[in-house]
Amino acid sequence: MSNQMVDLNRVGAKGAIAEAAEGKWGMVIDRDLCTGCQACVAACAMENNLSFVGEEDAGYGRTQHWIRIERLWEGEYPEVKMDGGFQPMLCQQCGHAPCEPVCPVFATPHSEAESINLQVYNRCIGTRYCANNCPYQVRSFNWRDYHIQPFHANLVNGQLVFPLHNQFNPDVTVRRRGVMEKCTFCIQRIHSAQDKAKSEGREVEDGEFTTACAQACPASAITFGRVDHEESLVSQLGQVSRGTKHLEELNTLPRVTYLEKG
Amino acid sequence: MSEKISRRDFLKLASVGAATTAVLTGCGPASRYVEREPYMKMPEYSYNGLSTYYATTCRECAAGCGLVVRTMQGRAIKVEGNPSNPVNLGKTCARGQATLQGLYNPDRIEGPTKQGRGSGVSPLDWDAAIQTVSEALKSNNPSEIAFLMGTGSDHVFDLASDLTNAIGAPAPVRFGALSMFESRATLSKAAENLLGQSAMPFFDLANADVVLSFGANFLETWLSPVAYTRGFAKMRRGNPKQRGYFIHFEARMSQTASKADEWIPLLPGTEGLVALAIGRLVAEAKGGAMPQAFASVDPLEVASTSGVKLETLEHIAQLIVEAQTPLAIPGGAALGQSNGLSTAEAVLALNALADNFGKPGGVFVSPLSPNEDAYHRPTSAQEMTEFIAKMKSGGIKVLFIHGVNPIFELPKSFGFAEALESVSQVISFATFPDETAIASDYIFPDHHGLESWGYQRVATGTTQSVLSGLQPAVSGVYDPNTNELLYNARGTADVLIAAAQLAGGKSAESLPFKDEVEFIQSKLANLIGETDGSFVAPEINTFSAYFQQHGGWWKKTAELATPSASSVLSKSVKVEAAQFAGEGEFFFLPFVSPTLAEAGANKPWLQELPDPTTTVMWNTWVEMNPETAHELGVTNDDVVEITSEAGVVKAAVYLYPAIHPGVIAMPFGQGHTAYGRYATSLGTSEKFMELVPTSQYVNGGKVSPRGANPADVLGAHFNAAGDLAFAGMKVEVKKTGETQALSRLESRIGVYGEGMGEEH
Amino acid sequence: MAVTSNHLYGAQKAHETPHEEEHDPREQLMYDPLPRGVMNDMVMESMTTTSWKFWAVFGVLSVLVAVCFFYAWGFMISEGLYIAGVMRPSYWGVFLVNTVFWIGISHAGTFISAILRVFKAEFRRPFTRAAELMTTFGLIQAGASIFMHMGRVWLFYWMLPVPNERLLWPNFHSPLMWDLLAITTYVLGSTMYLFLPLIPDLAMARDRSTGWRKTFFKVLALGFRGTEGEWRHLTTAMNIFAFAIIPVMFSVHTIVSWDFAMAMRPGWSSSVFGPYFVVGALHSGMGAVAVVLVIMRATMKHMDYFIRKEHFDGLGKLMMIVSFAYAYFFFNDYIVQWYGGDKWTDLLLHWLEEGPMAWMFYLLILFNIVIPFLTLWNKKIRTTPWLLALIGTLINVGMYFERYLIVPVMLTINRMPFTWKLYFPRVEVFLTIGTFALFIWLYMLASRLIPLIPVWEVQEGQMVHTLRKVGKTQVPTVSEFE
Repeated sequence: MSNQMVDLNRVGAKGAIAEAAEGKWGMVIDRDLCTGCQACVAACAMENNLSFVGEEDAGYGRTQHWIRIERLWEGEYPEVKMDGGFQPMLCQQCGHAPCEPVCPVFATPHSEAESINLQVYNRCIGTRYCANNCPYQVRSFNWRDYHIQPFHANLVNGQLVFPLHNQFNPDVTVRRRGVMEKCTFCIQRIHSAQDKAKSEGREVEDGEFTTACAQACPASAITFGRVDHEESLVSQLGQVSRGTKHLEELNTLPRVTYLEKG
Repeated sequence: MSEKISRRDFLKLASVGAATTAVLTGCGPASRYVEREPYMKMPEYSYNGLSTYYATTCRECAAGCGLVVRTMQGRAIKVEGNPSNPVNLGKTCARGQATLQGLYNPDRIEGPTKQGRGSGVSPLDWDAAIQTVSEALKSNNPSEIAFLMGTGSDHVFDLASDLTNAIGAPAPVRFGALSMFESRATLSKAAENLLGQSAMPFFDLANADVVLSFGANFLETWLSPVAYTRGFAKMRRGNPKQRGYFIHFEARMSQTASKADEWIPLLPGTEGLVALAIGRLVAEAKGGAMPQAFASVDPLEVASTSGVKLETLEHIAQLIVEAQTPLAIPGGAALGQSNGLSTAEAVLALNALADNFGKPGGVFVSPLSPNEDAYHRPTSAQEMTEFIAKMKSGGIKVLFIHGVNPIFELPKSFGFAEALESVSQVISFATFPDETAIASDYIFPDHHGLESWGYQRVATGTTQSVLSGLQPAVSGVYDPNTNELLYNARGTADVLIAAAQLAGGKSAESLPFKDEVEFIQSKLANLIGETDGSFVAPEINTFSAYFQQHGGWWKKTAELATPSASSVLSKSVKVEAAQFAGEGEFFFLPFVSPTLAEAGANKPWLQELPDPTTTVMWNTWVEMNPETAHELGVTNDDVVEITSEAGVVKAAVYLYPAIHPGVIAMPFGQGHTAYGRYATSLGTSEKFMELVPTSQYVNGGKVSPRGANPADVLGAHFNAAGDLAFAGMKVEVKKTGETQALSRLESRIGVYGEGMGEEH
Repeated sequence: MAVTSNHLYGAQKAHETPHEEEHDPREQLMYDPLPRGVMNDMVMESMTTTSWKFWAVFGVLSVLVAVCFFYAWGFMISEGLYIAGVMRPSYWGVFLVNTVFWIGISHAGTFISAILRVFKAEFRRPFTRAAELMTTFGLIQAGASIFMHMGRVWLFYWMLPVPNERLLWPNFHSPLMWDLLAITTYVLGSTMYLFLPLIPDLAMARDRSTGWRKTFFKVLALGFRGTEGEWRHLTTAMNIFAFAIIPVMFSVHTIVSWDFAMAMRPGWSSSVFGPYFVVGALHSGMGAVAVVLVIMRATMKHMDYFIRKEHFDGLGKLMMIVSFAYAYFFFNDYIVQWYGGDKWTDLLLHWLEEGPMAWMFYLLILFNIVIPFLTLWNKKIRTTPWLLALIGTLINVGMYFERYLIVPVMLTINRMPFTWKLYFPRVEVFLTIGTFALFIWLYMLASRLIPLIPVWEVQEGQMVHTLRKVGKTQVPTVSEFE
């Protein structure tokens, strides 16, 4: 895109019109290949310091999965099938994101540089309007400080020691209670790759890095890359006739293309 | 040069590139790991803010997937697949991703402990521990020393083998719940009978165009799930002209079955008959002489016995006739029946009929791992009962346990826990306070996989011969308040070497090594001359450094062996009717939890992963057909009591639309009564957030199990190969009147229409 | 000018005007004047006479406020919103229900004191202040509820458009910002509008008090002496506010409704929400006013003089008219959505009609529409205070159900069926009790500190209700005094 000064106050529809409809970073998820194994969910959790919430909260809609595997049924025994197979659902990084205009403090602006939807943790005051307005319901909220509950600690010489915290990725903020969060297309990896390429005086190559979920997937069902470059793998896969976008009729301009079965 | 260099420096040399060759050859045999130091002073190559990556191997199961671990300032923060390792080619499964939560688990054993079988726990130091092991080796009659090990950690197994071989003790016994549910003995016996050699068959899923799976859950935890999932993806979409077609036979729709184009439910135990019937129909359609293997089967009779319609059998037979590269795979609950061996043979015969032995998309024999003389399968469940009998008779005075948790993994009816009482001394090398560890006399904790040296032979999953390597990605877990080691573990191989040296005599002679690294190098030494490998090196130190850097050594060319198939079809293959134990009304179908597998229950993120087909988290459930449930008068979340002739288990009901009405299914992986806070339950969610010190779990303190263990109702019934007939129990189901709310990720309203005035 | 009722009565007895029923016109407050001093003393007495029962109730409420409001909220701020019942997909729950409910209650005040003043409805006179107090205190509860639902409430000031060194500006695209502006304007405006007519009564109270009360009133009365000039200024100011606060009132609840209407949820993005919510607010507000008046009459001294049958009659008629309007908008909303045939809206309507919360839906229709329709046409019912209060309470319960259905229950159904879970309130129950307790507590406190009856307005009204000869008959008229 252009190199002009970015106006940080442009948001939502206005910002989106300025960029090309297909965006910049995008994903293709092949539902025919996804086996529902949850490797992507686990990889995302380890990469992005997601907290686990325990049995009761998990069953009550408070899981912090930034990507989740959905499945619906169709038919009755013995002709019962999973309706369309497994569907990994994550933030679609919409071009016209419904979550953006409704945040009163601009905590979820649109990124003009990466053309994705950002979540600014330190600006969020927790009104949760964005979560209500997301048609894909992919946003999660930090209902409590799950990471620092005493249950997760050892008591060593009278002090609490949290060994699990050793695993935290220092490139990603650890969120406290009261803020919203969602998939960021591993923006820390995007920046890391861009920095490296810049220091070497070149562009980022397709496939040089990828998101945690795409990297883990044993079936290679998730492909990530530049959807505005014709020759990238994700662009080519996105042209396949099986490709659809979820809830496209809402004009959210999602950046994730799903390849349906058949 | 014989100075000690710190482990940091060795790692530095190991992880940097070819430039180190000159340095390494200069250092000679002294360049090896000796000391562990905290990461307060980082090595010079480590910059603040930049990560260091180490290649190692995952130890969550025995598949041997290669990993690259990203570490930052001495902490392992992310696990990725090793793109070079032929098994997984850069991919990982959920358990591999969550292995970090095992490394940094709050409930690891804190150091060598005198456990006293749960009463009177007191810490020891490592010298006393090594002394204890040494005493055990010295003062007992070698025939009364036993090693019971898991299916991973091949280098510890090899060391124990060398040790026991030298002193005249019985060879180590290897067992694991996964190998029990995978029926490895059955697969290798069927291969021996039909393919000419006792080996692990390899099914070239990637190049098949029509795949019939008879119970094999190859997308879940079966054998080498990452490799087979890659194969599945290639089968589906690897050929732009044709999408692979997949049919799965199983009494319940497992995660694997859900990806099939056709899921064929059938009565448990009839899979072999169905394979024969399809074979006969294929032979009829092709014309010509009917092979002996399929001569005596009657498809119409099979249709009525199994519940699969004749039209369906004919339709499938037609698909095979028209296919270019059809493939049939036996596995899972189909082999866990009394007729499991003949079922496996029937399916292999079907492959022979399709003439796919040794051809792309067909059946092969897995290449042996480098340095392996023959395929050594794990101990079967039946052989375990013999082992337990020996324990009970007092024939084992000292039992070393490493990498396996038999009290949990074996069916309760086998009586392992009771048999332990007849063993004078039990020494555990467990990393976590699992049920067997807290019932031992001593725990001398081994490192977690990511802190370990070692190697893992790859039994199956790839076309090449692979020896996957391990090196520590971190030097330990430290207490940030005191900079002391939080978990004072030590490599079991190191402990055994030190103890053997201390014991002297034949023990010391068998292990003339300074430490485990030297031992490992001794095992790698004969690979140096190989020319077809992933790298070449002139001598052992360089080889060892490259081994660390690449994450292992493998042959570059594919070495799948072609089975000798000529006689298969001319043999008569009889699949007898499956025998079921007990008089109950329902078939009991335990299956390995795809997210927890055998050892994942103590990793909280694995607990929070929803089961792919039911989306239940943190608990156990019983899958029941809604019609069946209606007849029994139970509904979702009602707790039922399941009784077999061998035991009782209780779990909450999940009305599952895709299961045979006469079958109930239950996942294996939960039901721990020890193993840490995440694997057990304190009861309420409030308590979940209180401080619970590790001592509560190590001392065998009061905890209640999280979920239930289906192994509690399995009895000692085996198939002809000695594998447990784990799907061969019939059970009674009784309402208890209690309820237990299952935490599901899905919405019962949206998925099942509850509360919307219409039920699905 | 002293007008005695005897004089009036005597003059009237000779004739019975056709449109008057057979009753003593002195039953009506406006025809039953008392000497000014007497009325003022009555008002002062009702303010200062406090029985033990008052203190008992006040004590209980204080405990409830301390525990259910402050302690529970404090715990929630320090530990997190997990003790509430909100989750995916109902990220908003009872806190938003309470906010909308309390704003609804607060609309009644403005309607009565502003609109009824503008339309010169005489029966409003004795209870404008009681209604305006409901507005102010209701808005306090609404504000508290909206703060309760915020994840990081200590950073609420980031919503205020003040210059800061990070050059950050709030997002005026967001309906929540419109809410902030609208509600702030409304609070400030209605507090001013409460205060202005209060000044003369504060002056009156100042002249009749001693001790701390005198100081209190002296400060607040701003030196009002009741001169012609002061009255003229005051009247002008009140008129300006009366006209100005009316559009504010209509816009506030419209804007609050746009929190929902601007969202993409099935059932929420309905363009009729604006007027629907305003009418709903009036509906619940009127009912609440009825309840408050009945309680005042029953518990405070001399209130039976000021609040009489005709006031309940007028109030009841208002409630009936509003219930007609409400019924129209209610059916408009649901029938148009049903007619639209959108798949997700269909599922939502099905969920409301046949789901686990369907009982709320039908009770809502019963309380908000059926009962007012069946009862409020009847004058006897309207003028029986406790019955009117009961109907008012039922209307409020029904309106609370309506907001509960709109917020958490409608949020269950979205376009991702995998996520539909049902909301259950947890600590919200306590916090709701806390807001009610605080509301009543504030009200009781106010009844001790300021005169609840705008006695100068009543006196003004009585004074202008003179009889005039028009032609040969004598008719009661209102002069162009105002």
